[in-house]
Amino acid sequence: MDEIKNKIEAGGERIAKMNEAPTQSDESKSDAGFFPEFEHHSNTDIVVGIKDVEKTFVLGTNKVDILKGINVDIKRGEFVMLMGPSGCGKSTLLHIIYGLEAPTNGTILVEDEDIWAHSKNWRAYFRNQFIGFIPQQAFWIKSLSVIENVAVPGFIGGRGYRESIERAYKTLEIVGMKDWAHYRPFDLSGGQQQKVSFARSLLLNPKFIIADEPTGNLDQKSGVQLMDLIKEFNESLNITVLMVTHNPDQVNYASRIVKMVDGKIMDDIIDKEQINAMKHEA
Amino acid sequence: MKLNFFSKKNDVSLESEAGYEKRHHAVSRPKETWKETHTGISFSMIAYISWKNLKVGKARSILTIGGVALGIGIITFLLSIGFGMQQMIVSEVTKNNPIDVIDINNGNLDNFVSLTDDVVNKVKNIDGVKKVERRVNTGGKIILGESQTDVIIYGTTSDYLDMLRVNYRDNGGSFSNDGETALISDRLANLLGFSNPYDAIGKKIVYNIALSKEVSSSLDAEKVTDNNEIIISGIVNNSDNTYIYLPTKMLQDKFGIDSAQDGKVVVADMAKFDNVKQQLEQMGFVTSSIAELIAGINSFFSTVRVFLVVFGVIIMSISAMGMLNTLSVSLLQRTKEIGIMKALGTKRYDVFKMFILESIIISFVGGLLGFFGGYGLALLANKVLIILGKRMGTELSYFVYVPTGFVLAIGGFVLFLGIITGVMPAFRAAKIHALEALRYE
Repeated sequence: MDEIKNKIEAGGERIAKMNEAPTQSDESKSDAGFFPEFEHHSNTDIVVGIKDVEKTFVLGTNKVDILKGINVDIKRGEFVMLMGPSGCGKSTLLHIIYGLEAPTNGTILVEDEDIWAHSKNWRAYFRNQFIGFIPQQAFWIKSLSVIENVAVPGFIGGRGYRESIERAYKTLEIVGMKDWAHYRPFDLSGGQQQKVSFARSLLLNPKFIIADEPTGNLDQKSGVQLMDLIKEFNESLNITVLMVTHNPDQVNYASRIVKMVDGKIMDDIIDKEQINAMKHEA
Repeated sequence: MKLNFFSKKNDVSLESEAGYEKRHHAVSRPKETWKETHTGISFSMIAYISWKNLKVGKARSILTIGGVALGIGIITFLLSIGFGMQQMIVSEVTKNNPIDVIDINNGNLDNFVSLTDDVVNKVKNIDGVKKVERRVNTGGKIILGESQTDVIIYGTTSDYLDMLRVNYRDNGGSFSNDGETALISDRLANLLGFSNPYDAIGKKIVYNIALSKEVSSSLDAEKVTDNNEIIISGIVNNSDNTYIYLPTKMLQDKFGIDSAQDGKVVVADMAKFDNVKQQLEQMGFVTSSIAELIAGINSFFSTVRVFLVVFGVIIMSISAMGMLNTLSVSLLQRTKEIGIMKALGTKRYDVFKMFILESIIISFVGGLLGFFGGYGLALLANKVLIILGKRMGTELSYFVYVPTGFVLAIGGFVLFLGIITGVMPAFRAAKIHALEALRYE
């Protein structure tokens, strides 16, 4: 943990760059002005509210209950790790929170917005503007360079090329990947790609980040580097992180562990000692 | 697990988002007031990404664009030559025959009508007629010294000659309606012993003229009037026949010729052309006009064009299949890209636009290259023919022509091709579910 803290302090200077005075184009298209209905979001402490969420898949003629009444509130600044055996419904829950998969029953409140009460386009825009996403495997637009790929959420949100690229460069700089800006994404190692993927998730200053086993395909060293980086941003910028992982070695990065088994929450641990103990148990 | 997102029934059926919304929020759903601000990806960025995607599959893009260019090129090549030849033939035909003139003659023996003064006045009174000029023709003989030869004698006016585009004024020729001078064909001048036809101008010749009831109503029987003298005032070039033009008035005064076999009727208003023609036919005249010939030429070229268009449609269908194949392969290869773009917030419609635009870029670039390639090739072929013609002593002109309508039609077709071939892959891409696309192997 000390090592992580040191890294966080060292990265403080870099992170400060994110909070520099915005450029004129930033001001003209600030989130508040761009998306006025969500100005109130910072007033709530609960970033994600999961109420009685159920999900049933239909396999041929059989119905399989994947989520059986999930209730969790994720608070601002928390680093929540969603853990559990394969098939317990972690990823499904993550996709429901991210607005990609509809729940069979229940409500998902993100920053007090019932995201499944809105249209598909609304959710698309909401994801783009407020949620950072790091998938297990970095997905790229093959024809674009690293910096252009990082700028993609900006393009999607309607921002211009120049503005999005400027933001992308700044983001790559703070994750330490600016030297690779003009490479093709597939020329990078797995670890580097996930760092760039993290940079892409940060582009539009998200309210929280969803990560679906981001270190699943990485070697141990790259995994640690990425986790350090995510933790650094979680603590310095108070960005809420919701991560699915199988790796018990990573529990010490979390401020809260939610354990799932067979579509239900078995444990919700916020006690630091208990969390550390989990690692030793593993 | 490999999911087939193109089939309607997947092994694992995901509840549709629309279904969820309908069940849970049919009444309470808030109004989407911010929708207007959700502009999605700007057009320039969609165009940029589409262009970059085409550049990534360079070989495939070049081949597909080449296919379109080849199709459009062949069509442009053939049609530009077709249009050009049509224009050249029509221009050649109308050069010596004004389009507003109806030729009339007195027809066959069953339905005989002569152009007497009365008949000419009746024709002039037809609505839409501007002018009527007539020409009488009969046989005769020309004598100059020892030389004598049989000829056709035409009695006419200078206006008729102008309408016939007979050029006798070069080299000092003249023709007077009221005078007593004659124009002779250059062939006749040669037969009379003038190796240079123009040497005949100013020479006095003797002519015999055969008269009949057909041309002179006062005659009861045919007769020949001998030893009439006249001065040659001009030469008609490039003639294969031996003939002489004499003023109608002189023939009338001297020999009592008062009717003619054929004439030319000038129509003042082309809208009344058919009506005038019909009335002339009702009077018993046999009519003909260059407009009919031009209509025939146009009809012929229209038929040729129909074949070319059918041929072009076949070629373009092959190009379209190539485009469809390229876009479908591109869609399969980019499934994950579409997945991540959708996950990051891309609207369905933006994905649709991206694929449609790619298709339009392929079609448009191919169309542009094909059009200029085909047109350039036609010009080159034309140039080669002109050079070859020159060597063989034939003078050819440029006949490649592309009408504005054809350019617009090609532009419209290229756009149509882009949209029609892009719609299916674009629709499929837009329909892909983000999660299924990300899981796609």
